[in-house]
Amino acid sequence: MEVDAVVQECCVARQCGPGQPRFAVCASCAMIRHVVIVRAQVVACDSSVQNRKSLHGANEQMGNLCRLAICVLFMGMVSGCDRSSDWPVRPVTLVCPWSAGGGTDRVSRQIAVQLEAELGVPVNVINATGGGGVTGHTRGAIAAADGYTLQMATVELNMLHWRGLCPITPRSYRPLAKLNEDSAAIFVRADAPWQTIQELETALREATSSVPVSGSAAGSIWHLALAGWLMERELSPDATNWISINGSAPALQELLAGGIEVVCCSIPEAAALLHGGEVRCLGVMSQERCPAAPEVPTFVEQGVEWSVGGWRGLMYPPGVPEDRVERMSAAIRRVAESAEFTQFMDDAGFNISLVYGQEFAEFLAEADAGFGAILTQPAMQQQQQAPLSAWFVPVLLIGIGVVMLGVSGVSRRSVAEVSTEGSGAESLRIPLLFCGSIVVFILACQTVGYVLSSMALLGVQFWLLRVGVLKLVLFVVLAVPALYQVFSAVLGVPLPWGMLGW
Amino acid sequence: MSDALLQAFAEVLGRPDIWAIVLASACYGIFVGAVPGLTATMAVALFVPIAYWMDPVGALAAIVTMVACAIFSGDLPTVYLRIPGTPASAAYADDAYRLTRQGKAQRLLCLALTSSIAGGIIGAVLLMVLGSQLARVARLFSVTEYFWLYLLGLSCAVLVASGGSRVKAVLSLVLGLLLSTVGLSAVHIEPRFTFGIPALYQGISFIPAMIGLFGLAEVFSNLCVMSAAAESVTGDSEVAATGERWSLLEDARQRLTRHKGGVGRSSLLGVLIGMLPGAGADIAAWVALAASRRARADQDDDEQMMQSVADATTANSAALAGGWIPTLVFGIPGDSVTAIVIGVLLMKNVTPGPVIFAEQPALVYSIYLIFILANVVMFPIGLLAIRLGARIVRIPRQILLPLIVLFCITGSYALNSSMFDVTTMLVMGVLGFLLSRSEMPAGPVVLGLVLGGPLEERLIQSLSASEGSLAGLISRPLSLALALLTAAVFCGIVLAEVRDRRSGRQTT
Repeated sequence: MEVDAVVQECCVARQCGPGQPRFAVCASCAMIRHVVIVRAQVVACDSSVQNRKSLHGANEQMGNLCRLAICVLFMGMVSGCDRSSDWPVRPVTLVCPWSAGGGTDRVSRQIAVQLEAELGVPVNVINATGGGGVTGHTRGAIAAADGYTLQMATVELNMLHWRGLCPITPRSYRPLAKLNEDSAAIFVRADAPWQTIQELETALREATSSVPVSGSAAGSIWHLALAGWLMERELSPDATNWISINGSAPALQELLAGGIEVVCCSIPEAAALLHGGEVRCLGVMSQERCPAAPEVPTFVEQGVEWSVGGWRGLMYPPGVPEDRVERMSAAIRRVAESAEFTQFMDDAGFNISLVYGQEFAEFLAEADAGFGAILTQPAMQQQQQAPLSAWFVPVLLIGIGVVMLGVSGVSRRSVAEVSTEGSGAESLRIPLLFCGSIVVFILACQTVGYVLSSMALLGVQFWLLRVGVLKLVLFVVLAVPALYQVFSAVLGVPLPWGMLGW
Repeated sequence: MSDALLQAFAEVLGRPDIWAIVLASACYGIFVGAVPGLTATMAVALFVPIAYWMDPVGALAAIVTMVACAIFSGDLPTVYLRIPGTPASAAYADDAYRLTRQGKAQRLLCLALTSSIAGGIIGAVLLMVLGSQLARVARLFSVTEYFWLYLLGLSCAVLVASGGSRVKAVLSLVLGLLLSTVGLSAVHIEPRFTFGIPALYQGISFIPAMIGLFGLAEVFSNLCVMSAAAESVTGDSEVAATGERWSLLEDARQRLTRHKGGVGRSSLLGVLIGMLPGAGADIAAWVALAASRRARADQDDDEQMMQSVADATTANSAALAGGWIPTLVFGIPGDSVTAIVIGVLLMKNVTPGPVIFAEQPALVYSIYLIFILANVVMFPIGLLAIRLGARIVRIPRQILLPLIVLFCITGSYALNSSMFDVTTMLVMGVLGFLLSRSEMPAGPVVLGLVLGGPLEERLIQSLSASEGSLAGLISRPLSLALALLTAAVFCGIVLAEVRDRRSGRQTT
């Protein structure tokens, strides 16, 4: 049978009627698949088929050799046909670089729900947090370019590389669509003496010691927005003292507690406190007023030519096939322009700003240059100095540890007696073999796939513990697919796919 | 006022769909909480897309119920298998499992269930009655106060250690704190102990670490014993027929009524700690455990252990209600769950904060009622879960242990979809095994991992606010008070240790 015919039939079979099985899977261009053709008879070919060429060869002998449907077992785990016209067939992963519950996470989850309906496959959000966005932004850029990993990128993409934290820049991605842009704004406590941005500026000029301010970590977009404003008005960088607090919510809490005087963050982040009258917004750093808080004047209105904001957008790793990029872009465009998404963004107070493809890439290049100009300023570098060196705490801890070891050494003798007591008959052989099997699992899982490698792991461990063959097979065959279904289908956790597609 | 209350009653109790939502999310919460690696926060985050289709009361009912149930059911794997299901159970994992080995698993879980319910309900009542007053207190906490609070939290790990094991607890704690410095430091943005491995930049995530330190380490210990003695049933040997179950519940009820003081103290501690943004159910459990140990120093060992675990479960459930205090009053999330809740509320066009009490009092009363309802519904479902759990433990060890290994692996992978977390879990499993062989407690390592980062961050934030002067740490009245309290606790620990050593020397 010709390869293309196989593919063709396979795709036909996928749209088959209710009477026929729905588990047809064909060889994809790049990946190795078990092949099942469903028509009058079921033809199953060996899963060791490596690529189209060997598929062709294997097909000739296959007719007689493996007509039996070994695939019954696979049924219900997989369905799909990996041909470009029929892409996507697997769950799509959406990488969110910030933690669950934050603004970016909420936008990601909304996009995921709507994309799922658009694409017809599950879209799972994973929160790859840590390192001030380094982890998350690296994850999407180095993902396989098969179009199944989508990255929610944020403004930090423009900033991390300038601060020398990671080599990832906007050029490490294929930008698809910018979804929103939130401008920075300046907040003070409701009982603070300043009513306008000029009054605050005068106060900063006249202050004898530097005023404590925050909004997020040092070097974040809000830090940069504030520093840029000071630079624009030619204030000394020492006028303010940026306290590095992780996130805008704890910074606002610190503002209420009186630890800092000014917070710089976006309006949606402070919406609850702003509407509750606990904080006052002196101005928003944008050209137009923010729809979520139309009573707040812009900086431009108050005579300060300074606007800056954070953006969120969707990106692909470079090298994704063009037809998949088009398919995904079209789906994203439909989602982003839907009434449902607009409603969601309005309700959450996020400012929609849609820019697609090439235009988005140009926006990113421009923003990158602008941020670079500020971030490389000596004033900005200076402000990132912390009062304690990064190694102060680890060294202190090692010191305490050594002292404690010394103290415990005094009473060590009694301990040694206790611990040697029952350990004579114990053996470390099986625990070590278990460790070894887990190491092999970790190394193999990404290429072999979750189901197969878990089956192997479980089988080996049962065997080590001398479980009977029948029980072994029974538990392996029942437990692994069940666990896979629970995590993958019910909880939406994307488990490694591997060679066989599952 | 009373109109709003009536409306809330009708909204919550009068709607069959709310009952259905509460029941379904209770089952979901129990399930997610019992799976190590999936936290209460994760349960809520997975639920957000569904919340979009619900009305505010329905969405809130689901969230409150699933979190309450997840925090309780985190105790199930803790007690049965020594794998904390959620971080809130890590504090008492060792104690609980020791009781399980004595065949008291079901008794302990029934007690934990009733204590959780008691804590949840008392917490909800405190939220209703004192909510806005307590929020004023929470508002006073700046970074400096948090620094002292975290130090106090750390001292709990040493306070719960009995007699001669204090030094070991400190060593475990230092180990945990050191592990927490791995990765990109949040304040300096400088990599430490990463050895150029990019995956280490995000640090050692504590959930895989916790699964490894407790779960996998326990598997290894069991394997050692198994190869020596062919079969050893350490699980639940207690007979629990239906008749017995009622006697267990009766026992739990008696314990609770006998220790009213303990329940009240733990609930109050839970609410107070829970309402502080940056301290949640996990720290509440530690503090309540330590307070309970101090209060009951005179009782015999097992009884004391049972009660202190019960107090800790009371506190971690009460902390959930505490987390809602700053959320409702200021719109500042009290913990990671309420951070998501604020997002959901904003999505529904409800702005949490001072205005919510004036504009939507019915919704606020509904939240109070949902808290009570969730804790009531938890009772039958929790009992069912305890029973199911007991079945799992009866599976022969040689089948169960590989299954636990697979569960540990999948659970740690699930959190971030990263194989690196599985590696972390494995390394921590080996570390936990070595710790248990040298009789060092694993709990303080987890506490150190959780608090290490924020502690250093708060220290550096306080110092940079005061421009490097140490006086900045005690310049505010509240921070001075907390500093004195911390100093007193530290002195107390040192004095107790010196006294114990002296008396030990005299007896030998």
